[in-house]
Amino acid sequence: MASLKRLETEFPILDPDFQSFCALRGIFTVQDFLIRDLQSLVADAEQQPSSERFMQAINQVLYVIDGLHQPWLNGVDLMEDAQKNKHVLSTGCEGMDFLLRGGLRRGQVTELAGPSSSGKTQFCLLTASTVAYKHMGGVIYIDTGNSFSAKRIARFLNQISCPASEEMQPRVLQEVMNSILCHSVYDIFSMFDVLHCLESKLKYQVMCRGDNDERLIIIDSISSLITPILGSSGSQGRALMVSAMSLLKKLAHEYNLAVLVTNHTVGGDGGIPKPALGESWKTLPHVRLLLSRDCGSNTYQVSLLKHPSIASGKAAKFIIND
Amino acid sequence: MLGRAQASRPSLSLPAPLHRIPLRAGNVVEIAGPSPSAKTQLLIQTAVSCILPKERNGVHYGGLGHSVLFVDLDCRFDVSRLVEMLRHRIVQVNGCSCTADDEEILKLSMRRFSYIRCYDSCELLAALKTLHHRLEKEKESNGIGGHLLMIDSIGAFHWVDRASTSLPLGGKNRKYLSLQNVLEVVVEDLRKLMSAHPMLVIVTKATIVGTTGNDFRRNYKRWPSAGTFDASSELEGLREPYFREYMPPIWQSFVTHRILVRGSDDHIAMPKSQENNTAYVSEWLLPRLNFLDKFVVRNAGVFLVS
Repeated sequence: MASLKRLETEFPILDPDFQSFCALRGIFTVQDFLIRDLQSLVADAEQQPSSERFMQAINQVLYVIDGLHQPWLNGVDLMEDAQKNKHVLSTGCEGMDFLLRGGLRRGQVTELAGPSSSGKTQFCLLTASTVAYKHMGGVIYIDTGNSFSAKRIARFLNQISCPASEEMQPRVLQEVMNSILCHSVYDIFSMFDVLHCLESKLKYQVMCRGDNDERLIIIDSISSLITPILGSSGSQGRALMVSAMSLLKKLAHEYNLAVLVTNHTVGGDGGIPKPALGESWKTLPHVRLLLSRDCGSNTYQVSLLKHPSIASGKAAKFIIND
Repeated sequence: MLGRAQASRPSLSLPAPLHRIPLRAGNVVEIAGPSPSAKTQLLIQTAVSCILPKERNGVHYGGLGHSVLFVDLDCRFDVSRLVEMLRHRIVQVNGCSCTADDEEILKLSMRRFSYIRCYDSCELLAALKTLHHRLEKEKESNGIGGHLLMIDSIGAFHWVDRASTSLPLGGKNRKYLSLQNVLEVVVEDLRKLMSAHPMLVIVTKATIVGTTGNDFRRNYKRWPSAGTFDASSELEGLREPYFREYMPPIWQSFVTHRILVRGSDDHIAMPKSQENNTAYVSEWLLPRLNFLDKFVVRNAGVFLVS
C-alpha cells in the first residue's frame, strides 16, 4: 500500500501539510485511509485553515483508492464475457462431460474428491491429455505426490488421437506433450510460488499478444498441501487455504482458465465418506464432485455435490481404459 | 405520520421465502446457512425480480425496476444462471412469442445489474468507500431509483482477517486491518450509504465454523432468538448441527432481519420430471416466525413447496 509520502511525487497536492494533518490522526498510508472513518476526517479537514486544499487532497486519495478495487461490471458486459471467453473444456470422459454439461468450465474451480485409489489421478491425467490435444491448450500440472506419469499421458494421447491402435506421429506427440508442464511441489508455499510465477507469465502473454495459451491448471492433490497446516482451532491454516483458492479463482477468471483440484475423503456421519478439509472448504470451489470406483474394475461413479447452475445429486458412470 | 413514513419507503415485494415479512429500504437481511443451501440461488432469484421492469410495451412483467449492486466476495457467481432465470421469467410472461422483444427486455434488465468481485478485505473497503460517488453520479444521470445491495458471503475473508498479523504499527492512533476493524468500517460505510441512497441490503453468510464432536455439546447454543422460545413440534425437528455465530457483535447488531436456510432430508419427487430435487428449508429467525418454509430450486428458479 502506497504511503502518502510516496504518493506526493505523483500528486503534488498531497503536500507535507496534508501529510502532517493525516499523521496526527494516525494515517500514513492508503491502507490507513481505508480503515478510517472518512466522514469524521472530512469534518476535521473543514475546520482547518487550508480546508480547501485538504478537501482536494482527500478527493485525490479517493481517486487512488478507486484504482484499488476491481472494476464494476455491467450485467451486459458479464454476459458478453461469459459468451466469448468462458467456454467448456471437454474432459475426455463421456460420463463426466455429460454430467457437467460439456466439461470443465473456464473461469471455474472444480473439486474432485474421492477415497484413495478411486481414480482421481487417472482422471486428471486424462483431462490433461484431452485439453492438450483437443483444445490445443497449455496445461499446468501441479503434482504433490509424484503421481504424474508421462507414459500414461502418451498412452491416453494415442487412444484419443488414433482409436484404431495406431501410433501417433512422434513429432505431433512431442508437440502436444510439450504443452503440459508439470511442477512438483511438496508444500503450500511452493505452490504459491508456482502460481505467482504463472500469474506473471500470463500477464506478460496477455500484454504482448492479447491472449494466453494456457487453458487448464490441475492440482493433484491440493488436500495433501493443506491438511498438514490445518490445525483444529488456529486460523493460519485456513487463512492460507482461503488465500490459495482466492488466487486460483482470480487466475481462473482473469485468464479464462479451468482449474481442477483433487481432495481426499474422510469418514462422515454413518460411515459414508465425505470430502476432507472441513466446513470452510465447502464454500470455496465452484463445482464439487465425489468420485468412487467399483471394486477392482475400471468403472467409476461420480456424483455432483454442488454446481452453480445444475441441481446437485446427479450421478454418472464412466470407464477409463488402460 | 406513519402513513407518510410508509409511503416514502414502500415495502418491496420479494420472492419467497423473503415474502413473509415486508422489507423496505434501510433493512439489512442476513441469509445464513451451511454450504450448500441455495443461498446464492435465493439472491439470484431476488435480483431477477428486482431488475425486471414493472411494465413495458403494455406487458406486465411484475418486476421492481430497481438496480442491483452485487458485491461478490466468494467470487463464485455464475452469470449464466442469472440469465437463465431471467429468460424463464420473460418467456413465462410473453408466452412463446417474439424473441427480439425478449432479448431487448433481457438486455434492459441486465443493464440494471452491476457486479464487482473483491479478492480481499482491502478491495472490499476500497469498493465501499468509492461506491458513494458512483451512486451520486448515477443519480445525476438516471434520477433517483431504488437500489438493492447484495453481498455474497460476508464471511469470505473471515479466516484471512483473523489470521492477519497484529504487529503493532508505528505511531499511535494507527489501526491495523484486523477482523474487528474491517467489519466496523464495513458497517459504518454501509450505514452511510443507506442513509444517502435508500437501499435494501441482503447479505449471505456461510456457516463456516461447524460442529466437531465434543464441541457440539459444550459450546454451541442456538441461534440468537429474538422472541420467546416457542418449542413447537416442527422446530424440535431442527436437530441439525447448530452452527456457531462467528461474526462480531457489531455486525450482529447491524442486521435487522435474519433467515436460516439449510437442506432438508426429504427429496421432493417432481411428477413431471424424472428427477428428485433436494428440498431446502428456510426459517425466519429475526423476527421469529414459528414455521418453516420449504422450497426447491429448479431450472426456472426457486419455488415454494407445501
